[in-house]
Amino acid sequence: MALSGIQIYKLLPQTNCKDCGFPTCLAFAMKLAAKQVELAACPHVGDDAKAQLSEASEPPVRLVSLKSNGYEVKAGNEVVLFRHEKTFYNKPGLFIRLRDTESPDEIKTRVAAADGYKVIYVGRELALDGFAVEAASRTPAAFSAAINAVRQISHRPLILISRDPAIMAAGLRLVDGERPLMVGADAANWQAMGDLAKQHGAALAVTADTLDGLADLTVKLKDLGVQDLVLDPTAQRLGASLALNTQIRRLALRKNFRPLGYPVIAFPGDADEPAQESILAAHAIAKYAGFIVLDHFAPETAYPLLVLRENIFTDPQKPIQVQPGVYEINNPNADSPVLVTTNFSITYFSVANEVESSGLPAWLVVTDAEGMSVLTAWAAGKFDAERIAKAIKTFNVADKVSVKRVVLPGHVAVLSGELENELPDWEIRVGPREAVDLPAFIKQSL
Amino acid sequence: MVNHMAEHTVTFDTAPQPIHVPTGTLLVEAARLAGVDIHQPCGGQGRCGRCAVVVREGTVRRRSTLRLSGEDVANGYALACQSVVEGNAFITVPPQEAIERRLTTDLTAAAVAVPAGYNPTQAQTVQRVRLSLPPPSMDDQRDDWSRLQTTLRQQAGIELIRASLAQFQQIGRALREGNWRVTAVLDADAWDCPGCPARLIDLQAGHCPEDTPLWGVAVDIGTTTVTLWLVDLLTGQARAQVAEYNRQITRGEDVISRIIYAGKNNGAVELRDLVLETINGLLETACKRVQAQPADVVKATISGNSTMIHLLLKVPAESIRLSPFVTAVNDIPTLTAREVGLNIHPEATIDCLPGVASYVGADITAGVLASGLEDSDGITLFIDVGTNGEIVLGSRDWLVTCACSAGPAFEGSGVVNGMRATKGAIEEVWVNGATFEPTYRVVGGGKPRGLCGSGLIALLAEMSLTGVVDKGGNINTVLPTPRVRLGEHGPEYVVAWADETAHGHDITITRVDVDNLVRAKAAIYAGFTVLAERVGLPLETVERVLVGGSFGKYINVEKAVEIGLLPDKPWDCFHFLGNTSVRGAYLALIDREARARVKAIAARMTYIELSADNTFYEAFTSALFLPHTDLSRFPSVQAVP
Amino acid sequence: MSAEIPKDSWSGTVRTVTLGATPAEGGTRSHVVTVGGQKTLPFMHFEQVAPNRPVVAVEIKDRCPEDWSPLLLEVWGDAAISPAAWAKQAEAAGAHVLVLALSLTGDDGKPTTPQAAVAATKAVLEASGLPLLVFGPGQAEADNELLVAVAEATKGERIALGICEDKNYRTIVAAALANGHCVTARSPMDVNLAKQLNILIHDMGLPLDRILMDPTTGALGYGIEYGYSVMERLRLAALQGDAMTQLPMIVTPGFEAWKTKESKVGRDVPEAWGDWRERAITWETLTAVTLIESGADIVVLRHPESVRRVRQAIDDLMTVPETV
Ligand code: SF4
Ligand code: FES
Repeated sequence: MALSGIQIYKLLPQTNCKDCGFPTCLAFAMKLAAKQVELAACPHVGDDAKAQLSEASEPPVRLVSLKSNGYEVKAGNEVVLFRHEKTFYNKPGLFIRLRDTESPDEIKTRVAAADGYKVIYVGRELALDGFAVEAASRTPAAFSAAINAVRQISHRPLILISRDPAIMAAGLRLVDGERPLMVGADAANWQAMGDLAKQHGAALAVTADTLDGLADLTVKLKDLGVQDLVLDPTAQRLGASLALNTQIRRLALRKNFRPLGYPVIAFPGDADEPAQESILAAHAIAKYAGFIVLDHFAPETAYPLLVLRENIFTDPQKPIQVQPGVYEINNPNADSPVLVTTNFSITYFSVANEVESSGLPAWLVVTDAEGMSVLTAWAAGKFDAERIAKAIKTFNVADKVSVKRVVLPGHVAVLSGELENELPDWEIRVGPREAVDLPAFIKQSL
Repeated sequence: MVNHMAEHTVTFDTAPQPIHVPTGTLLVEAARLAGVDIHQPCGGQGRCGRCAVVVREGTVRRRSTLRLSGEDVANGYALACQSVVEGNAFITVPPQEAIERRLTTDLTAAAVAVPAGYNPTQAQTVQRVRLSLPPPSMDDQRDDWSRLQTTLRQQAGIELIRASLAQFQQIGRALREGNWRVTAVLDADAWDCPGCPARLIDLQAGHCPEDTPLWGVAVDIGTTTVTLWLVDLLTGQARAQVAEYNRQITRGEDVISRIIYAGKNNGAVELRDLVLETINGLLETACKRVQAQPADVVKATISGNSTMIHLLLKVPAESIRLSPFVTAVNDIPTLTAREVGLNIHPEATIDCLPGVASYVGADITAGVLASGLEDSDGITLFIDVGTNGEIVLGSRDWLVTCACSAGPAFEGSGVVNGMRATKGAIEEVWVNGATFEPTYRVVGGGKPRGLCGSGLIALLAEMSLTGVVDKGGNINTVLPTPRVRLGEHGPEYVVAWADETAHGHDITITRVDVDNLVRAKAAIYAGFTVLAERVGLPLETVERVLVGGSFGKYINVEKAVEIGLLPDKPWDCFHFLGNTSVRGAYLALIDREARARVKAIAARMTYIELSADNTFYEAFTSALFLPHTDLSRFPSVQAVP
Repeated sequence: MSAEIPKDSWSGTVRTVTLGATPAEGGTRSHVVTVGGQKTLPFMHFEQVAPNRPVVAVEIKDRCPEDWSPLLLEVWGDAAISPAAWAKQAEAAGAHVLVLALSLTGDDGKPTTPQAAVAATKAVLEASGLPLLVFGPGQAEADNELLVAVAEATKGERIALGICEDKNYRTIVAAALANGHCVTARSPMDVNLAKQLNILIHDMGLPLDRILMDPTTGALGYGIEYGYSVMERLRLAALQGDAMTQLPMIVTPGFEAWKTKESKVGRDVPEAWGDWRERAITWETLTAVTLIESGADIVVLRHPESVRRVRQAIDDLMTVPETV
């Protein structure tokens, strides 16, 4: 179980020798509690303490990574149930499923479309992670042909789906040197599948429709020497999947129940209706899946899912930010005033709401202040004349208005002189300190 | 069985004659009938305790004793607004001041006491010695300096000395003028460097009288207020204590503005000069009080936040405000007044106390020293209610600290009618819940000029309890009182009408002031809750809460709890220490032991950066409410009728 | 290997809020809709079956909203020019409740009058038996003026008046108090601010079972994670026994999603965004379903196909699986 800073401190030498690079043992202990440093940074910890501390730091959900040349997809290592507590670390891999009953050409076309798919979201390039090949034909030859077809187009990691060890073996031979995920082991085939997983260094998903069934399998396979396991609880509907995934995560985190301390795989493609596939996938992203296998690929559904995955897996400790830019409030025109503020969302909201509800039109320039409020940003040097001037220039505010006049928040009145130098052809006005006073200010002074 | 129709005789000590009232008459009513004026600041709601009277004979029924201790009741105290007549009684009405002194929740900082057993020769680094040198002759042609050194060794046991060029230029004259009898002041051994060469500070012709004071000063440079104590190093007594707003305020209210200002053109020089002017001005005032000369001061210990120390020494402070927030120096070796520019003896030793981090400076290490926190068994919380709002939590085993940038509101700055806790400051306020009329008490007793920190705390608490502001801090503009009105800065509440004040203007508190105060208290509350959270300790485990701050002579704990500035704990957990920074500087000035302890404290304090993630912000927004968004943290505030 | 299912047992319960009043209760609604009442985190039926299901509201306007996406105007067609027709069609599309969002100005460009707002509200109430929420145009003065008139004219219907915000709640709350209505309380994506507003409204004397809280959300890609986490945290606080957060939550994924470029426009967008209609509907649906999983009790939607999909997802979430 996780130890608090003070608890860890009691295990440290308490000499404040600074060898770890921190000013005091307590400072080091708190970083350790927050998992921001390694215990090894302190050369003076005793063996006893070391043992106690490392046990406390073992991840409750095992990290499983799939690899192919140049690509890696990781799942697991999660430490919380709710994203506000701490970042969800490993974004679930999104895979597109192909069945070996499709012709190799069909497969290649579909793989090519999905493999090459890229979309830009807030400056980041998002893409899908890999492919799942299912031996629907139940013949090794068709399975191999399908895998080959995929591999001719894409080198992304693979999930191989078959319950038949012989067919699985045929598939695995084609991807030697990679670490694919095999789906999967069940009560009947687990030994053979386990042997294959060991032989090929593959990760192995276990399939059962009860938690006890899953736990049984992972314990047996772990005894057999297979470490990289994935759970397939086979829930096909939202309600059941939510319940099962929650229970698995709770058991792993709260009870430290090792047999279920593995990532989960979900198959939204099994939904009754195509329109539900993206809903199920969205659910799997938010609620604890490590690998998600879709049956359909289309840009219009891939894009929202990729975006949702980015959103859910952002660091919750980052302050809420709005996109820097010029915001139009109440349909402003060339005569409307120009206001500036920072991109901290609460700051933005209070300014925007105040002006919006007054009915007065205005241009609101939101600068990139790394999500800090006006005063904090100013204190930290993130909201200074230079940055404001830059925002006004990059967003071409001058083109939108006839009167070049900009209103500074009253809290940073001190910046007006410098801003005049930065923006020589603009008139700089100091507005009120509080957003509530903006409407009156605009009416009276502008 | 009480006869309800029965009439009783009630005698008030201040009334011309007894009166007769029926059972169940409130004492305030009886007093009114008797022609005795009992003041009811809270409007007779049993909240303020200011209507206390003493029942000398007979009995009354006390409906509520909320403001009275068990001991008070045993001594006959009763709240006149909450007690009814049940029989004949003789009642005395104590003078108002007596009541206030007795109220349990007002904590006044203790006066400074010289540490017991203070022995200047042992504790003091600065020594004054009277020397008689053998005059030179043709047989003894040693140079003046060697002669002085030898005599020092022989007569005072002080081995080596250093001196400045200016000193060498004067040694000969002093020796001869005094006819080889001189008084030397030396920094005998630096506190942190035993065996280091002693340094000559002053050499005067002749032997000065034994009881001439040897002056030192302890200075606390606050962002808002500068405090100076003039101390006789021979007795350890603080002979004059003075304070004034830091003149740098005109260049920005908070440390960030100052740092930015210092970075511009001549800003650093200007700010240094302003703080030097402030200190030198205080020196003048203090010296005048004891008929001393600033040049007689031979040692200064300086405390203050890291920014203030940097600005005083004109060390660039820019890195303090920019990530990753480091100072240029946390622990500065001793300097001389000449280098620093203080108007005391040019060779005087200047000792700046060590800080911990950019936002936890010498003022806090000094504060920890003065508060005794570093040596406490139980977990103790130390809150410095100042502009930077520093907080220390810990015990003998460990210490953590943070700063939460509260702003200067509690020091009376940044609030329209705010002022320091000097003559004319309203330091306590009650608001009548029915009429919304205030009653206040003024420092020095005259007409009010403004509100100091404790007055603002009291006012906010009273406004909140009586509904003049809602829990969100919005002034309720529909109240039936002319005191709530629309001013230049939106809604405001008039505490004193122009004709009652010293300057002839209304004293008001505006909505913006309320916001500032709420923000200041929220920052402090958030600071210590997050600090406790970071080390994984619930606030309940805190045994003592030490409150420091230069915002006044006293704090009304109850009201500070009511607004959510202090945690809701039993009142006896709280100890108000006043300005702990200057106290710490004072202790370090007179006692080298204490000075060594400050250094040790600085070394073992763990600084926690609150801005590292958004937990502080979260805690701050939840504290932006009166008393707090999570009302369950303030059970006693909810219980108030 | 047997895993003992970890069940949470909470001390707190979310309050129920009932919208609408039948003739027997002094209104004219054909039925009422009750939300809230949960004793567990969303859909943890294995701990305790939720008494009420999340509800889909459809947003309609008092006049045709020219600034809405063409996709929406097209799908609602002529209905969008008559609040009554729109209400009927929204009901047919599967709405559980209706949201009538009043416009700032009428067709003539002049500010909407209280009379017009009342007329539109009455038309909607006559056309459909569904419970109703009425939102003002979002500007303090107009909101107060229009909502007070609407509240008075619909006394006893137990509609929900929106939107109360920390700077403008007194008038709306007073109107709700006087006329037996509910209110929605909106705060900008912050647990504390949400709670503070609930306290302020409750301090005015409005019972907690007449307050819906709207913690605000961003759309998918525009801050949904903040709305998501704020709602999860509010619900956790409610279950932990914090009375001032034990209110059902309403959010407006329709408004948020259809404001995004992804949904609003079909031209001059990256090819990687794919088919416009499907993308827009997916945008709205994913925003809504994700928020339902984090605790939303009412989602206000705009597109009928989204209504269909989200309702299906709700059915699915409310099905108690036999295996668990
Ligand atoms: S190295 Fe170890 S003993 Fe030294 S300060 Fe760091 S934690 Fe303490
Ligand atoms: S307590 Fe009696 S008047 Fe305040």
